[in-house]
Amino acid sequence: MNVAVIKTKAEQAIPELFERVANDLPGGAKAAPARREALSRYAAIGLPHRRIEEWKYTDLRNSLKEAFAPAASAKLSDAELTAALGPLAALDGHRIVFVNGHYDAGLSQSSNAGRDLGNAGRDVNIAPLSEALASGLTSLAAEGVDVGQNAVLALNAAFVTDGAVISVAEGAVIETPLIIVNVRAGKDARSTAVRNVINVGAKAKVTIVEAFVVAPGAAAAAQANTATEIKVGDEAEVVHVKTVADLGEVTHLANCLASLGKGTVYRGFQFTLGTRLARNGFNVVYGGENAKFELSGAFLTRGTEHVDTTLVVDHAVPKCESRELFKGVLANESRGIFQGKVIVRPDAQKTDGKQMAQALMLSPGAEFDSKPELEIYADDVVCGHGATVAEIDEDLMFYCQSRGIPAGLARALLVQSFIGEALDRVENDTLRAALGVYADAWLDDTTA
Amino acid sequence: MLEIKNLHVKIEDEDREILKGLTLTVPKGEVHAIMGPNGSGKSTLAYVLAGRPGYEVTDGDILWNGESILEMEPDERAAKGVFLAFQYPMEIPGVAGLTFLRTATNSVRKKREQAELSTPEFMKVVREKAAKLNIDTEMLKRPVNVGFSGGEKKRSEILQMAMLEPSLCVLDETDSGLDIDALRIVSEGVNALRGSDRAMLVITHYQRLLNYIVPDKVHVLSGGQIRKSGDKGLALELEQSGYAEYAGEAA
Repeated sequence: MNVAVIKTKAEQAIPELFERVANDLPGGAKAAPARREALSRYAAIGLPHRRIEEWKYTDLRNSLKEAFAPAASAKLSDAELTAALGPLAALDGHRIVFVNGHYDAGLSQSSNAGRDLGNAGRDVNIAPLSEALASGLTSLAAEGVDVGQNAVLALNAAFVTDGAVISVAEGAVIETPLIIVNVRAGKDARSTAVRNVINVGAKAKVTIVEAFVVAPGAAAAAQANTATEIKVGDEAEVVHVKTVADLGEVTHLANCLASLGKGTVYRGFQFTLGTRLARNGFNVVYGGENAKFELSGAFLTRGTEHVDTTLVVDHAVPKCESRELFKGVLANESRGIFQGKVIVRPDAQKTDGKQMAQALMLSPGAEFDSKPELEIYADDVVCGHGATVAEIDEDLMFYCQSRGIPAGLARALLVQSFIGEALDRVENDTLRAALGVYADAWLDDTTA
Repeated sequence: MLEIKNLHVKIEDEDREILKGLTLTVPKGEVHAIMGPNGSGKSTLAYVLAGRPGYEVTDGDILWNGESILEMEPDERAAKGVFLAFQYPMEIPGVAGLTFLRTATNSVRKKREQAELSTPEFMKVVREKAAKLNIDTEMLKRPVNVGFSGGEKKRSEILQMAMLEPSLCVLDETDSGLDIDALRIVSEGVNALRGSDRAMLVITHYQRLLNYIVPDKVHVLSGGQIRKSGDKGLALELEQSGYAEYAGEAA
């Protein structure tokens, strides 16, 4: 029996919003068919809800009460950008700046004074997606990832305004981190859709940082839909860090689609704090043997915030390794979710997968849901998972306090102790320190 | 001066009393040893002095320099000069020893209205004090006590004690788990802190430690009360006769 599902206000508003902006979206006639196709894909499935297993804990249909209109670009000064970046401003790298989902050439250039790509410039090609769409780029860089039922990705494809298209040449070693900065600005509650398409050539080495930040004086509420497709060529090494410190009543919906060539090393880190609702989806597919995939992350939630990390690791070929470590600190009535699906296909013998999710609960009202899913179809594999949920250790509190450290400071120290193990996975000293500053500021506000 | 008056202590949510009217006075400048069989209440006494949650004082009082400390948080007691060297020092992963030491030192200095130490000042003091305890500063860059041997943990406790400059030192079974060399180093560290402004309470099961840290007085704790007090000779007596003669009274 087919039951006609009544569409929510937000669900109904989305196609209307699309019609209103469709003619102004970049890529024009070249990109229009793909956008329409994506929109109809979304229309057929609607927003994800809790009866869809991958969205069991994050009912978007229920929590997305209205759909905001797409944001227009906004003018930001260098000083405002620096303020928005906060601790990340210290990070040395080549910046590609998007304001409200629109490439800002001026800010990208001016904030790169003295730290451009130098000689490496010819090994990296960076272009705004808005231009690439006009020349017909529609394909996904990541191959083999099934996005058919992902409504969030469909919406991203329909509404996408911009993003970074990055190609790293074969064998290139890029010492300077490439920093994709997404700044939110403006007094009205708006939505953005950005997509990055990253192609890393064989044997290349690169560090990519995606930062989501908010400019001073921006609206409290916003909706962001971001997708990053990354294709890692054979034996390439990629460090890929995503930080979300977009403080406010923000719905942050993210997808990362990664495909790894043989012998690649991918080290990812995801840091999330301050969003009303964040959903970090990550799909990785192995395309060649002996690839190593590591994804770690830390999140801090308070109030009624909700942070969902959902991974699908698809071991499609033999002899690959996957490692995941996620740590969450949860205060008040907030909620954290970790879903980690590891698929080991029949041919993927000698797969080595390990997964760990740990939560530190600062309040009895907080909730952490961890759902590992191992689908193993090969017989010669090592796969493990674990999850822990704990409160601040009272004995350690006493130990710290007996050394004269006041309770508030002791608690902060123990939270740092907990989350430090995850942050230590970030190799870049400046970046790790910046994430520490975010966490410390959060703790100051939260334990006060 | 430490004055413990008719102290009655039980574990919260349990009826069984552990300390049953313990009375003890330790004047400044003196080192007193508390000896007693297992389960006599030695560690409870140490924890109650430092203010560990989970214990309930049902009667009596603890005065330090004439002021009751019972209502004080552990960190307030530390600021007043109380320091407990743990029998089992705790590990804090992810927090470097130096960070911990500096946070503790400056927290205490702040409350004592002393100027906080700058990084160079702090490092200078730590290096000096660590060297005396045979502690390499490299070791202090590692997370607090993580992966340390028993001896390293105890030396790290004594270093914390030296940094915090307490006026009342309580050492809970500091000799447990130490080989003879570590025992000597730790004892030298403790002896270096002896002084006319400091009172020390050394809690131990065995007389061995008291060869190194020679006490002014020895008290036998059994069944939650002080059963006998004497000079250092009492410790030697106990080594010969054991605690058997006090066990009956403990029942």
